Amino acid sequence: MTTTATTTLAMDTSILMTDLALAQRPSLVDTQTSAGSALPLHIWLSPAFPVGAFAYSHGLEAAVDHGDITNAATLQAWLDDLVRFGSLRSDALLVACAWRAAVAGDMAGVIEINDLALALAPSKERHLETAAQGNAFIAAAQASWPCDLLAELAGAADTIAYPVAVAVAAAAHAVPLAALLDAYLVAFAGNLVSAAVRLGPVGQTDGQKIIARLVPALREAAQFAATGTLDDLGSAALRSDIAAMRHETQYSRLFRS
Amino acid sequence: MIVTQVPAQVPAHVPAYVRAVGQLRADFQATGARTQAMNIFETGGLRLRCPKVAQGCEGVLINSGGGVAGGDKCSYDFDVGPQAQVTFTTQSAEKIYRAQSNAAEVDVALRIGAHAAVEWLPQETILFSGARLNRRLDMDLEESSSLTMLESVIYGRMAMGETEVSGSFRDRWRIRRGRRLLFAEDMRLDGDMTGALDRPAVGDGARSNATFLHVAPDAEQRLEAIRASLTDAPCEWGASAWNGMALVRLISPSPEKMRAAIVSLLQSFRGRDAPRVWQ
Repeated sequence: MTTTATTTLAMDTSILMTDLALAQRPSLVDTQTSAGSALPLHIWLSPAFPVGAFAYSHGLEAAVDHGDITNAATLQAWLDDLVRFGSLRSDALLVACAWRAAVAGDMAGVIEINDLALALAPSKERHLETAAQGNAFIAAAQASWPCDLLAELAGAADTIAYPVAVAVAAAAHAVPLAALLDAYLVAFAGNLVSAAVRLGPVGQTDGQKIIARLVPALREAAQFAATGTLDDLGSAALRSDIAAMRHETQYSRLFRS
Repeated sequence: MIVTQVPAQVPAHVPAYVRAVGQLRADFQATGARTQAMNIFETGGLRLRCPKVAQGCEGVLINSGGGVAGGDKCSYDFDVGPQAQVTFTTQSAEKIYRAQSNAAEVDVALRIGAHAAVEWLPQETILFSGARLNRRLDMDLEESSSLTMLESVIYGRMAMGETEVSGSFRDRWRIRRGRRLLFAEDMRLDGDMTGALDRPAVGDGARSNATFLHVAPDAEQRLEAIRASLTDAPCEWGASAWNGMALVRLISPSPEKMRAAIVSLLQSFRGRDAPRVWQ
């Protein structure tokens, strides 16, 4: 028994060492056949990971206040739009492009994508939302999942957009892109639904139904982003942007965006 | 009321070689209180006219082709020197016709020198049903320069009853200050454009939208005045300011109402009337 246990431990260690080697030399990660695990995503994208995601409603609080979101159907329609025309679609492309650049060891490319991700923010609070969560993610990941790539990113940019931060951590820890995109989008949608539940127009059960109904659209967005480029970026969610802008002058607020 | 008096579409089967390739380039230099346009290069139907104004320079862009068809390429390239002041506008709304195949390409590049002030205030772009437009705006500022820009788009010829509009519109803005990317706009509507515009988080039935951007050392301090000037605006809008810029989005089912809001915003923001062509 003791021998078996030792063997298992040795095998685990060797797998761990392979992962670390991949992480430290990201250009060696085979993007097609990478045997990396999706496990870190469950940690990084869980509400317990200290990025403060619960504090941002992405303009939903203003849309609720304005009467655009009053029930499950109107929330579902609004979120569908964000997936098809808005920030979930854009974030998925930014995640995919940043992951590929990081895996290729192209830090200049990662920084360029980061600059674009920050510049695409359409309001002060949306900029805060991506920048504050991105910086908090980098700080937490550097503390608990340290690696050269995250240190290099933190050294190369003062402010890191959230999708870029998550993508680079995933690349550094050999997390495959498809799993990353699925998890990122589901976490984003889940956070928005959670905000809506706290704002009142839907209950918890309706919230879960909405997330389940969003899954096909989220998967489609993830699959599109997996092979997409920066040239595929493009949003039309103008009223979502306007809601985020209006939130700044809203009288009573639970959220930072 | 925006009335277009041009044919619904260019003749069918226009071969690629007759499509217009227009270029307009110029340098602007400050000479005392005036700014002068120099080294003007015009080809392919694009023209620059500078009516006499008391201060700065007004550059009126003219597309003598009367609109832009699929496959057309228009490029505008301006160098605005230190201290210069230029207000660009257009003689009329720009009509983008139904495209046979290729998209029309419109590229604008502006370099704005130290302490220079540029206003980019073209009239509306009207996308006819079936129009395909790829537009790119590249603005390069110094830390001390200022830019006030407004672009507005109308989806379909409302006066012709064109309420269902398909086509494609890609609009990419890259605004750099001190060679660093400050603001990017990436707008995309593909296929059933009005179907998308009817969606709640997109346009809720809008048929026009406008984006106003002001970049200047004091831009954030102007946000309250911008909001105050739009309090009674007859269309939906939002305004924000961060990182040394102010951004306003306006949206409306009625292009006329949106234009009225824009004219009062420009009047209040500039402390004088909108350019004459906007009146």
